[in-house]
Amino acid sequence: MLEGKNVCAVELSALRQDELIPLVQHLPELDLTSFKYVSFHAPSSMEPSFEPIALELLAEVAARKWPIIVHPDAMHAPSEWNRLEECLCIENMDKRKPIGQTAQDLAYFFELLPKASLCFDIGHARQVDPTMSEAAAILRSFRGRIQQLHVSEVNTQSKHDALSLESILAFQKVSHLIPPICPAILESRVEESQIEEEIQNTLMSLSTENLLALTGD
Amino acid sequence: MPDARPTPETAAQFLISGMLKNCRESSLKKREELDQLLSAGIPKYASEDTSLVVFGSLARQEWTSGSDLDWTYLIDGEANSDHLRIAQEIRRLLESEKGKFKPPGQTETFGNLAFSHDLIHQIGGQNDTNKNTTRRVLLLLESVPIGRRTEAHERVLRGVVNRYLEEDNHPLTADGKRYRVPRFLLNDLVRFWRTMAVDFASKQRDRGGSGWGLRNAKLRMSRKLIFASGLLVCFSANLDPEPQSRISTDNSDIKLPLVKHIRDSLRLTPLDILAKSIEKYEIPQLIGEELFGSYTEFLEIIDDEASRHALEVLRASDSRTDRTFQRVRKVSEAFGHALDYIFFENKLVAPLTRKYGVF
Repeated sequence: MLEGKNVCAVELSALRQDELIPLVQHLPELDLTSFKYVSFHAPSSMEPSFEPIALELLAEVAARKWPIIVHPDAMHAPSEWNRLEECLCIENMDKRKPIGQTAQDLAYFFELLPKASLCFDIGHARQVDPTMSEAAAILRSFRGRIQQLHVSEVNTQSKHDALSLESILAFQKVSHLIPPICPAILESRVEESQIEEEIQNTLMSLSTENLLALTGD
Repeated sequence: MPDARPTPETAAQFLISGMLKNCRESSLKKREELDQLLSAGIPKYASEDTSLVVFGSLARQEWTSGSDLDWTYLIDGEANSDHLRIAQEIRRLLESEKGKFKPPGQTETFGNLAFSHDLIHQIGGQNDTNKNTTRRVLLLLESVPIGRRTEAHERVLRGVVNRYLEEDNHPLTADGKRYRVPRFLLNDLVRFWRTMAVDFASKQRDRGGSGWGLRNAKLRMSRKLIFASGLLVCFSANLDPEPQSRISTDNSDIKLPLVKHIRDSLRLTPLDILAKSIEKYEIPQLIGEELFGSYTEFLEIIDDEASRHALEVLRASDSRTDRTFQRVRKVSEAFGHALDYIFFENKLVAPLTRKYGVF
């Protein structure tokens, strides 16, 4: 699907609790040699009783030195997640989640998990605050922790869509605050034939050179 | 001001003692009660796209025994015909508890639906009705969401602040070192203050003088308070060190830290904004005492059933002889004097009042 598209980053995902065991079991069989960057998305929610099992499995993933993307509210005992050390990568949340949307929320988790990095989901940040002022606050506070980006348009139903012009313009407002070399994982749901266009739109959204309108002095 | 009342050492201490403390505690308790009532009658009454927002004394944390409940069902999401049914159900539920929650006034500005698009897009111009202006400015100056679902309120508030700032072409001073006072926002606050004053006269005519005394007292005190707090938030954009420390060198996000600064400033109640300003701008202790002392007495007057009733039935023609109103006049003069000092005498605030406040 991605052949010939100059894509060198991929995220493996076990978004549901039940997907984690089989995915970790099959990791040795996956051919990921064409990717320079691989990350792993932990379940977006899990039962408290499953948390120790998940941590055991994710420790195996961490042994590969892959960043492990975790939703703040998925951690029932956050301090336990310190065992993943630098591989732990906390994601800012969309509006459905009870916590993890703001710079203040994230500061709480980074205090508990000082070695963790940040997966900055720019679509979540825009959904929570379309003005992008909170996105700017997150980026200014935790720019040095950014490990990777999640890029998509997150609609009012919290589903991932292809980028619209509104999203592109919003993302451009803060794109200069994103480190210049940073893996971007596209979460947009598009047809295979639209992948190339979505990649181009993402690149445009992360470039300040293409701003349609500039304001200020 | 009464002579016997002990004077707190700082202006901010007024907020955590005596009448103001009682009002704060009552407000928080009342908000809890409201959430419990709604949650029991209409489970999940708010969502990620809707917030039940309250205004007035409940939002300002100045709830007194006779306070009414100004509310709106704020929508920031997909259009859905069920929203009206939910708002009607909220109204029905609150009317069934009139003893606890006095219904909003007659203007229908509150007690129904409000949509984010009107609040954000219709600022100025023909379509910015009196009702829309009132909802928008009060959303900024005195509103809080009830319950746990607060996202819609937060988004709309930021959206409104952002919209005001978008229209200011030059957010920074010529040397690029400081934010300028956000003039579009400030002008709308000034316009709203004048609108309230003009509507006071209009209501007097429409309602044949009924309710004159209480409306007059509110205009002199609580209405003036929210206007003053709004001005101070605008001025803080230029005066406070915090926003200046976040000025970006990139044109694309120059205004974003200011959106956050203004939004965060507006999380405080109007009285908190005044107390903080007194501290930040080194306003003398005596002025703080006069300001908070007079406001405390105002709340005591309207919390007293007999005094509130006297104001409710008072007509303008009797105002010069009515004892309760004479008391209101006296506290409002002290309150006005303290505000005059802050806005016209303080060396930091006064130049901005002169520059932006009138012409």
